[in-house]
Amino acid sequence: MSVRTQEILIGFGKAKQADIATANVLAGVWRLNKLNAALANPKLNTENDAEEFGKGHEYTTQVFNTSWDVAGTIEKYLSAEITAWAVAFGLGKVVKSGVNPNFTYTCTPPNPSNGDAVELPFFSFIEQIRPGAGVVLDRMAVGCAVESWQISVGSGPGRANSKINIEFVGSGKLTEPSAITLPAATVEKLLASASLAVSINGTDYVTNKNIISLEFGGKNNIRMDDGFYPGSGFQTPGDSTTGAIRGRMEYGNRQFNLRFVARFQNGSDELTKLKNQTSGTAVITLTYDANNSLEVTFAKVQFATAEVVDTDGRVTVSVECLPMYNAGVVSAVAKCNVDNIAQ
Amino acid sequence: MRETVWLTPPFGLGEPKKVEAMPELIVPLMNAGWSQCDPPAGSDEEVTEHVR
Repeated sequence: MSVRTQEILIGFGKAKQADIATANVLAGVWRLNKLNAALANPKLNTENDAEEFGKGHEYTTQVFNTSWDVAGTIEKYLSAEITAWAVAFGLGKVVKSGVNPNFTYTCTPPNPSNGDAVELPFFSFIEQIRPGAGVVLDRMAVGCAVESWQISVGSGPGRANSKINIEFVGSGKLTEPSAITLPAATVEKLLASASLAVSINGTDYVTNKNIISLEFGGKNNIRMDDGFYPGSGFQTPGDSTTGAIRGRMEYGNRQFNLRFVARFQNGSDELTKLKNQTSGTAVITLTYDANNSLEVTFAKVQFATAEVVDTDGRVTVSVECLPMYNAGVVSAVAKCNVDNIAQ
Repeated sequence: MRETVWLTPPFGLGEPKKVEAMPELIVPLMNAGWSQCDPPAGSDEEVTEHVR
């Protein structure tokens, strides 16, 4: 009997793991729905003895488990809940404030030169299809971190006009079965496109009714190869035949991005700002209600490119911003009703 | 009364301080290496309404 991919359940650590190797427990796990069908399939890397001399031939006679990789993508409509999670785990440094029902997560990228951690918070990622007696799939990747997050806002009334795409990578450590009974899916509150407020480099693009679309996010460039070091460990502790897993996952050179398309008309100054390399802040806000929102601030941006283009028969300008450091590069203030995110 | 959070200085060197839970105050400190910590023992920690 076939199994529909829509039966895939995902759950992941709402709370952060104690360390890279210690899985989330049920109390720290939440379940959310997603849009993409792709599974976070663990990959076993192997090597063999084909190149070795002494066998008398060039063929493989033995295969050796070397290491494990885990990578996955979570694609979702943009909600206050997933957004808070994404900026908390994706930026990495979090200050939680507020009380129920208004929890506020103020997030920035850690700064190691000021004593901050060189790793992001870790979480466990669980995938299940018909868990229990008729199980099809039930596994947990332990020690995952957000590799990138990208929020896109478009024109139109539907949910698809505000989405988030999160890519994550894992240490390679797996637990099968997961031993987690996923809770009911969290009810999420949409941060709809129509709630957008955006001011970039001195222009309020909502007030002037010119914004067409907007996209922003970050990439952590996690140094995956550095995760394997002498003593980093094996899939089965103490069993060197089971393949190595990572004992650390440090972020690399982090990159943030911001681009938008706006109507271009008399008085539009994007080309002038590009030519003059004018700099300013960028503040983007999406709101469900007073207790559920996201505000992202880029401390300083300049326009890297600004091209006049056609969008559905209208003259528009497509702008790529360069986020720059100005006593910080980006910060996010995420509000939602969910407690203990990345705590 | 405004809500506060406790932050510990960069590298954990120095005394934690109580800061109003407002992004315009917290973010510069976070960028400078201050991190959230538990209230020190004996502090008069108050859980109050959230502002902003």
